Amino acid sequence: MKYVIIGASAAGLACALQIRKEDKDGEITVLTKENYLPYSRPSISYYLKGVVKENNMYLRKPSFYAQNNINIVTGAEVKSIDREAKTVKAGRKVYPYDKLCLCTGSKPFVPPMKNVEGKSNALTFLDLDSSKAIKAKAGKSTRAVVIGAGLIGMKAAEGLSKICESVDVVELAPRVLPSILDEKSAKSVKKFLETEGHIRFHLGQTVTEAKSKGDRITSVILKNGKELACDLLILAVGVRPETALAEKAGIEVNRGIITDPGTMRTSDENIYAAGDCAVSVDMLDGSKRVIALWPNAVNQGTAAGSQMAGGCIAIEKSYSVNAIDFYGLRICTCGLINAQGDRYTDKIIREGESYKRLIFEGSRLVGYVLINSSANAGIYTSLIETKADISALRGNILDTPGPFMFDRAEREIRMKGALPL
Amino acid sequence: MKRIYAKEELCVNCRLCEVYCKTAHSLSKDVLTANKYEEPAPVSRVTVYGDKYISAALNCRHCDDPKCVKACITGAMTKDKATGIVYVNEDKCIGCMTCLAVCPYGCIKEGKTAVKCDLCRNEDEPACVKNCPNHALVYTDLGGENE
Repeated sequence: MKYVIIGASAAGLACALQIRKEDKDGEITVLTKENYLPYSRPSISYYLKGVVKENNMYLRKPSFYAQNNINIVTGAEVKSIDREAKTVKAGRKVYPYDKLCLCTGSKPFVPPMKNVEGKSNALTFLDLDSSKAIKAKAGKSTRAVVIGAGLIGMKAAEGLSKICESVDVVELAPRVLPSILDEKSAKSVKKFLETEGHIRFHLGQTVTEAKSKGDRITSVILKNGKELACDLLILAVGVRPETALAEKAGIEVNRGIITDPGTMRTSDENIYAAGDCAVSVDMLDGSKRVIALWPNAVNQGTAAGSQMAGGCIAIEKSYSVNAIDFYGLRICTCGLINAQGDRYTDKIIREGESYKRLIFEGSRLVGYVLINSSANAGIYTSLIETKADISALRGNILDTPGPFMFDRAEREIRMKGALPL
Repeated sequence: MKRIYAKEELCVNCRLCEVYCKTAHSLSKDVLTANKYEEPAPVSRVTVYGDKYISAALNCRHCDDPKCVKACITGAMTKDKATGIVYVNEDKCIGCMTCLAVCPYGCIKEGKTAVKCDLCRNEDEPACVKNCPNHALVYTDLGGENE
């Protein structure tokens, strides 16, 4: 069997590892357009702020791939897939496959802004090379402007704030981190970021145009007319699934690559897709969308790999779960945090800088936002994933969850901690 | 693989397991220093839950297919192929705590990096088990894969 995987981040690596578990002899080739062995994409902001060195960013040691007979080809950008001949083409080389998996991830989305495209100091922030480029351009006196206060934008802003004295963040939404924070929690987080990082926010704003000198942007102009001096512009408005290859090959795409939600197989029976390029079905509300988060990508890559090797691991449950920190402020989120409608209720406790919000649908927990109160968050996650009946639990659900919230029988199953006497 | 199991009928909520866990994972390896003076203060990997009527010491299950390993965004969390022990490479961990958000047992603690039980992997027997006064913690092999 010949397996080819396009993309070498969370989904691509998980796919390769799972194939190797189930097929000891198959030929596994992983093609990545980047010039690095698989590394931690989320670590690029930690690299930017200087707390992680490049050699600690690699997900596995180089020798691991040889030991497991996984051929990682770096600098190999796939230009086309020939579904008839079952080959992919990267540069001058042609790679034949029996089973192919697309783990192409996402690409930055840059909204149209006058006089920004092609400028030498306007950069996106999505991979190690972009982090290196930003680091090379950022100095103490650099006036940085970040467009986008989502996860990527805020991580860029945090990293830059450790280097530059002036960081402005422009965001279209009326709040920071709109994808993971509700309105109630975003206010206090914004205040924290302003205090800790000296970041200036311009919410409900967009950049309409840039002023430049030669190929360098010198300032940007906001919708409200305000002008921000700018030596370095980070474009972090958002990402879109990278589906160009799939579309060109005639594979079904609707925002992301459409797959069978269990097996991750695309509309071509020999081609699979996993990770940020693929559409998921959220188990909590049935919505079809891209869940661009690491654990989801690994689960999908694992399922795709198993299916490609003739195994039976399938995706059972997809939902979003995320943990991130800014200047030591920990934010954990899971499930339907911006759920709207009468079906949903919530409970909140707030104490100083900590905030806990649990979202319920009837007697089921369907989401949480935990700020500096993430102790044992995984127990909440498991209640969400298993659709547990909250009314059967003991004690106050807002307290730190623990084994004694379950009755004895449930505790033994859930916690596996007790030995029968 | 050998794992730690808690017998809640025998647990007297004395928390000596926590004391000895902190000591074993301290720089000084001294009970008094580790529990009162050392900076940064060592974090106990084992946690006693419950009250004086019923309690149990909860610890990492070293799962066959650990969610924390799958969720780790840096490759810092791994399951050792030979021993089955799930542990954190502190040089690689960035402390994002995604592992904590997915551990269904609540067995990962917050620190500068993720903090969790490593079954005292350089010792014959974990410190919590060795020092439990009432054999409420048992270190035994009830099956389960290493890998």
